[in-house]
Amino acid sequence: MADKEPCLIGSKITIRGQVSGNQDLVVEGRIEGRVALDNRLTVEESGVVEADLEVADAAFKGEVRGDLVASRSAVLHPTARVVGNIRSPRLVIEEGARFSGSVDMDVELPPGVRNPS
Amino acid sequence: MAKDKDKPMGNTIIGSSIVVDGEISGEEPLTILGTVKGKIAIAQNLTVENGATVEANVEAQTLTVSGRLTGNVLARERVELRAEAKMIGDVKSPRIVIADGASFKGNVDMDV
Repeated sequence: MADKEPCLIGSKITIRGQVSGNQDLVVEGRIEGRVALDNRLTVEESGVVEADLEVADAAFKGEVRGDLVASRSAVLHPTARVVGNIRSPRLVIEEGARFSGSVDMDVELPPGVRNPS
Repeated sequence: MAKDKDKPMGNTIIGSSIVVDGEISGEEPLTILGTVKGKIAIAQNLTVENGATVEANVEAQTLTVSGRLTGNVLARERVELRAEAKMIGDVKSPRIVIADGASFKGNVDMDV
């Protein structure tokens, strides 16, 4: 039952350090450090996250600086500003989102095609 | 669940399966259902719910504890240890309420 409760970091809250757990996390405030979740991380428009992220699903509408490893999906919404590297099997960058960094979707190359790098 | 009724309408909630290791600061009410280790400095009300574990030095306007708290507390207004509270640490606050059933070990400083 408790796992269904939302975990919300409000706009006037700052967390420095490590946040981990297995429930959805919504950030309207600020997190600096590291986030490790087995669930969804949502960074709202007012949210600022300067952290390395290890999550299942990520949805960014605010500012993110740091590397992201998403085991399922990552979505950069139109208001997102993201600097860092993204590793995720599925990635959506919507029109208007700003992103700088590398993307790794673990692409399986067809036989005979060599990895350009 | 009777305790839902008197749950404060704090904006920020550290959920029951969330662990924060570090420092939380800010200027809005904070409710903790999960685990926080480190330091908490809030210019508002802090609520440590039943089931929560806090190992941190705490600074807040008011503090309400129904869970487990280990650390020193400085509250500018008020500290309330509810019946389910288990607290170890020193408390400095102008007003302190300890409910019947709460367990507490530490110094109390009301600035008498």
